[in-house]
Amino acid sequence: MTEDSQRNFRSVYYEKVGFRGVEEKKSLEILLKDDRLDIEKLCTFSQRFPLPSMYRALVWKVLLGILPPHHESHAQVMMYRKEQYSDVLHALKVIRFVSDATPQVEVFLRMYQLESGKLPRSPSFPLEPEGEVFLAIAKAMEEMVEDSVDCYWIIRCFVNQLNSKYRDSLPQLPKAFEQYLNLEDSRLLSHLKTCSAVSKLPYDLWFKRCFAGCLPESSLQRVWDKVVSGSCKILVFVAVEILLTFKIKVMALNSAEKITKFLENIPQDSSDAIVSKAIDLWHKHCGTPVHSA
Amino acid sequence: MAQQSNIGELLSMLDSPVLSVRDDVTAVFKENLNSDRGPMLVNTLVDYYLDTNSQPVLHILTTLQEPHDKHLLDKMNEYVGKAASRLSTLSLLGHVIRLQPSWKHKLSQAPLLPSLLKCLKMDTDVVVLTTGVLVLITMLPMIPQSGKQHLHDFFDIFGRLSSWCLKKPGHVTEIYLVHLHASVYALFHRLYGMYPCNFVSFLRSHYSMKENLETFEEVVKPMMEHVRIHPELVTGSKDHELDPRRWKRLETHDVVIECAKISLDPTEASYEDGYSVSHQISARFPHRSADVTASPYVDTQNSYGSATSTPYSISRLTLLNTPGQLPQTLSSPSTRLLTEPPQATLWSPSMVCGMTTPPTSPGNVPPDLSHPYSKVFGTTGGKGTPLGTPATSPPPAPLCHSDDYVHISLPQATATPAKKEERTDSARPCLHRQHHLPNDRGLEELPGSKGSVTLSDLPGFLGDLASEEDSIEKDKEEAAISKELSEITTADAELLVPRGGFDSPFYRDSLPGCPRKTHSAASGTQGTSVNPEPLNSSLDKLGPDTPKQAFTPIDLPCGGAEEGPAGNRGRQPSLETSILTPSPCKIPPPRGVGFGSGQPPPYDHLFEVALPKTAHHFVSKKTEELLKKAKGNAEEDSWPSTSPVEVLDRLIQQGADAHSKELNKLSLPSKSVDWTHFGDEIRTLRNQLLLLHNQLLYERFKRQQHAVRNRRLLRKVIRAAALEEHNAAMKDQLKLQEKDIQMWKVSLQKEQARYSQLQEQRDTVVTQLHSQIRQLQHDREEFYNQSQELQTKLEDCRNMIAELRLELKKANSKVCHTELLLSQVSQKLSNSESVQQQMEFLNRQLLVLGEVNELYLEQLQNKHSDTTKEVEMMKAAYRKELEKNRSHVLQQNQRLDTSQKRILELESHLAKKDHLLLEQKKYLEDVKLQARGQLQAAESRYEAQKRITQAFELEILDLYGRLEKDGLLKKLEEEKTEAAEAAGERLDCCSDGCSDSVVGHNEEASGHNGETKPPRPGSTRGSSGSRGGGGSSSSSELSTPEKPPNQRAGLFSSRWETTVGEPSTSIPTTVGSLPSSKSFLGMKARELFRNKSESQCDEDGITISSLSETLKTELGKDSGVEAKTPLNLDGPYPSPPNPDSVGQLRIMDYNETHHEHS
Repeated sequence: MTEDSQRNFRSVYYEKVGFRGVEEKKSLEILLKDDRLDIEKLCTFSQRFPLPSMYRALVWKVLLGILPPHHESHAQVMMYRKEQYSDVLHALKVIRFVSDATPQVEVFLRMYQLESGKLPRSPSFPLEPEGEVFLAIAKAMEEMVEDSVDCYWIIRCFVNQLNSKYRDSLPQLPKAFEQYLNLEDSRLLSHLKTCSAVSKLPYDLWFKRCFAGCLPESSLQRVWDKVVSGSCKILVFVAVEILLTFKIKVMALNSAEKITKFLENIPQDSSDAIVSKAIDLWHKHCGTPVHSA
Repeated sequence: MAQQSNIGELLSMLDSPVLSVRDDVTAVFKENLNSDRGPMLVNTLVDYYLDTNSQPVLHILTTLQEPHDKHLLDKMNEYVGKAASRLSTLSLLGHVIRLQPSWKHKLSQAPLLPSLLKCLKMDTDVVVLTTGVLVLITMLPMIPQSGKQHLHDFFDIFGRLSSWCLKKPGHVTEIYLVHLHASVYALFHRLYGMYPCNFVSFLRSHYSMKENLETFEEVVKPMMEHVRIHPELVTGSKDHELDPRRWKRLETHDVVIECAKISLDPTEASYEDGYSVSHQISARFPHRSADVTASPYVDTQNSYGSATSTPYSISRLTLLNTPGQLPQTLSSPSTRLLTEPPQATLWSPSMVCGMTTPPTSPGNVPPDLSHPYSKVFGTTGGKGTPLGTPATSPPPAPLCHSDDYVHISLPQATATPAKKEERTDSARPCLHRQHHLPNDRGLEELPGSKGSVTLSDLPGFLGDLASEEDSIEKDKEEAAISKELSEITTADAELLVPRGGFDSPFYRDSLPGCPRKTHSAASGTQGTSVNPEPLNSSLDKLGPDTPKQAFTPIDLPCGGAEEGPAGNRGRQPSLETSILTPSPCKIPPPRGVGFGSGQPPPYDHLFEVALPKTAHHFVSKKTEELLKKAKGNAEEDSWPSTSPVEVLDRLIQQGADAHSKELNKLSLPSKSVDWTHFGDEIRTLRNQLLLLHNQLLYERFKRQQHAVRNRRLLRKVIRAAALEEHNAAMKDQLKLQEKDIQMWKVSLQKEQARYSQLQEQRDTVVTQLHSQIRQLQHDREEFYNQSQELQTKLEDCRNMIAELRLELKKANSKVCHTELLLSQVSQKLSNSESVQQQMEFLNRQLLVLGEVNELYLEQLQNKHSDTTKEVEMMKAAYRKELEKNRSHVLQQNQRLDTSQKRILELESHLAKKDHLLLEQKKYLEDVKLQARGQLQAAESRYEAQKRITQAFELEILDLYGRLEKDGLLKKLEEEKTEAAEAAGERLDCCSDGCSDSVVGHNEEASGHNGETKPPRPGSTRGSSGSRGGGGSSSSSELSTPEKPPNQRAGLFSSRWETTVGEPSTSIPTTVGSLPSSKSFLGMKARELFRNKSESQCDEDGITISSLSETLKTELGKDSGVEAKTPLNLDGPYPSPPNPDSVGQLRIMDYNETHHEHS
């Protein structure tokens, strides 16, 4: 009851009328007020609603396990994280893998490599594909998160999540993509098939990098909200929506290369709408996630 | 046919002398006419009339009703065509027309009119012509619009007849021409009056011709001297004259008056002018006009105006109440007063100048006259108002005074009714005479309004001439009457004879009077018998008047009212004549004759009664004739412009004179003889008579028209008078109201003053009251304050009372309390007393009991061995014991309860504790979680640190590698001589040792073969025995690969595996000597390797030392999979195992470790 009384009684109607995000912030705040944060609730919330930007970093950190659910330990844990960060950074500096001139993203990469024990013998060694993915994600994340420690940690955990939690589901995504595209627009799919472009679509960009570098950060973070909160299927719908949005252009293109090229460099202006539609589409096909509790 | 014969009989009966029969027959005829529409009866009537000249038939014919007019006209048209019956037909037509039948408008369309015109144009008989012209003149005003068609016929007739007057064609006698001339003169007036423009243009065209010039000079020009310029000549036009619209507005009498207006001929016009003036005056100011108009009159007649004026006003005022007749009578004379003077100047001066007699010397008379008149009016004021009185009283007066006249005898001779009738008409002649005899007659006649009026007019003129005038007039009247009578009685054979006696020659010889005299004499003789007829006829005409006349002979206002018009008309002409004829009147001869004769007068009154108008004309004619004669006698030139009427008058006059003279001369028998001798003359005379009759009828007609007009004017005057009266009444009312208003105003002012006073009083009272109120209020306030004070006091008192009451209560309570205490004390006292008593009682009992006890003790001592006592004692003991036990049980129960309670408490405690415990657990979990989180962080940190150190180590190793490389290169150069193989091994060992531990491996590396083996047993020792064996063997194998491996074939592979795997697993252990946190397997391996780390290190260090370089890169990878790479790199040294074997190896290793662990 206390929770209800704090909430605006109009919130139900806001949603009915179609306003979104009016009460989200407040409800999120209520969620965040709990000691011993309920991770599941937070997951559900972030899946249902876009996160307010001021709480995004915090939520992400909690969801990615960077911060424990207890508020009390936040400070301590964060201190550890920071120390760890500085230690790693220091080590890298000591072994002269990075210098002050090294770009932050690369520093993050090296740190990650170091921490995962994959640090190459020499910085001059060519990057592996995973490194490229990391770099892309890091670049996008750098824009979203200001604090470098947070940024590093979020990147690290995000990538880790991709590599661990979604390791099995990510390869399935292209198939799901085809399926949903067929549902949405079979003609487009058939066109793609005739162009034999289905297999050549930029799946790496879409699913491995999670659209990092493909969509602008402002819209991307909304996609990542879902990804962080545990749903990688959103990526499929974003991809579908991209194709639907640029259907006419895509239909106009006949060769697979051109299509791929176009899709790799889609115009950025309509990204927000794409994301919104994609989320709607996602909700439509997978249902709105409801907190079981 | 029977009817026809009946009609014949009836017609004959019509002329029966019996009056009743005649009336019946006329009634029958009228009935027939009403029922029968055919022309038959009318035709027969006309025929009969033409045959017999029957008066009753004429009467019937003249009163024919509408449907028969056509037959009558047709019949007459038929007879007009015939020369024989023309004259009588024309006279019949004249009779019919003069009565103005309702169908008169049809005349214009009737064929009779053209035939009449034709006859007038063609006929040569003067009598017929004269009659026709008169008929035409009579007819013209009735059908004015027909002039359009026949205008030129009229003009032609005028032209023809006017020339006739001069040319005298044929054997026309002079005397006829006089008549003709008069009628033409009348026609001239009528045409000029009705169609001035057309007529003038006709005259211009007609008389511009030379042959007509003479006629114009002789006939027309003199006529024109008697007309004034017609206004229509200026404003109208030819077409306008003929416009029917113009005529529609005018009635017949209007037309007649219109025509008369433009005439300057006094006989025709004087009164017409008078009318015009009278209209104005009567319209403007009835009485004042009298004064004003009197002034000119006064000039000529000196001071009469003033004298007359007053009576007028008086009479006016007094008579206003009487029927409206009087105003008219008043106005008409007054107007005449105005108009007369100019006429007098026109006519009289020359004559007057020539006259020997002093004509007007009114100066002497007026004062005398004025007084009587005023007196008279005063009397009239008294008498006039009651209408009935004069009716009876006047008759004697005129009779008395008429003694002067000759005809006094007449009334006596004739029947009384006739006399009365005479009176009515004779009033006018009488009036004339009254002027002459003012004192006598005036007084008598004054009661009659007429009398007063005429009196006022005439005295000035005729005062002196009174006596002479009388005679003259009498003469004239006589003559006229005689003629009239003769005319009337033409039918009588007797009269025809005397008429025949009139000779034109006499007339010409200026002795016409002779035959007339005879005639008059005859008539005079017969007058008595004849009179009734005309009287009757006049009665018939004036039907309604007659009865009144019978009662009111002369001056009755009511009688006058009806007769007014007629009377006026009659009077006016007479007056005119009187005015006009002063000079003739003064001529001695006629006078003398008149006086001399003295006989004729008897008819005079009758005549005037019957035919006033014609009478007047005859009079005027007579006067003219006399004038002529007088002129002739006096050798004066005849008046150049004597009007034909005058001429005719004179002719008649002369005729009358001659007649009278002749009558005087001749005896009756001779007369008859004469008549026979002069048959021709008789005819002439008859004709003349006829002509005169016609003329008379014409004039009568005119008179009637005037009467009609007068009636209308009278009506207007009455209305005006009524309005004036009304005005006056209104003014009076206004004045009264104004007075009222003023009174009201005054009273209002008074009321206002009073009101203001009252208000002042009220104000003062109010102010006083106000002051009183103020005072009272002040008092009230004081009282209020006082009362408040008192109230506060009262309050205080109350409070005090309340306090006192409280105190009282307290005191009461105290008292009660004390009382209570007292009672208690008393009770206690009583109690104590009772207790004392009890004490005493108990003490006594005690004493008693003590005694009893002593007794019992004595008894006890007496009985020692009594067992019952013991039993009792036992029982008591038991009881006590039982009680004890019971209480014990009770205690136990209580304890039980308490313990149970305790248990419950403890249980609840326990639950609480459990809850707490749960909470604690939760909390603990929470804390655990928290700690785990922190721990995880720390672990990750640690991991990182580990990685860092690994990295550092790698770096360090790298650096060492480099350093050693440099050193080795040097050594190689030094130990070139030594065996290359050993060198290679050493190199490896060295490298291995380096990687093994930081602590001084250099020494070991230098002489390592021997040293490495000793730690191995130690390691085996730490491990289990079996393993130790394995380990030793493996190490031995490693160290000595060349040694037979088939010792333990089953284990070979595993051994190999271990040997191969060992370095890989050992490497991390040796390098980090830390358990991998990753897996349980890793941990076991770590333990395992830790135990034999030294030995391994030794062995491996030797074997793998050479591979250090390559291994460095692989060290970062912990898994066993990576382990092969160093082996692969070591390719040249150990045999390269395939990847499968590696997997197996790993499994093996796992199993082995498992085994080892187990």
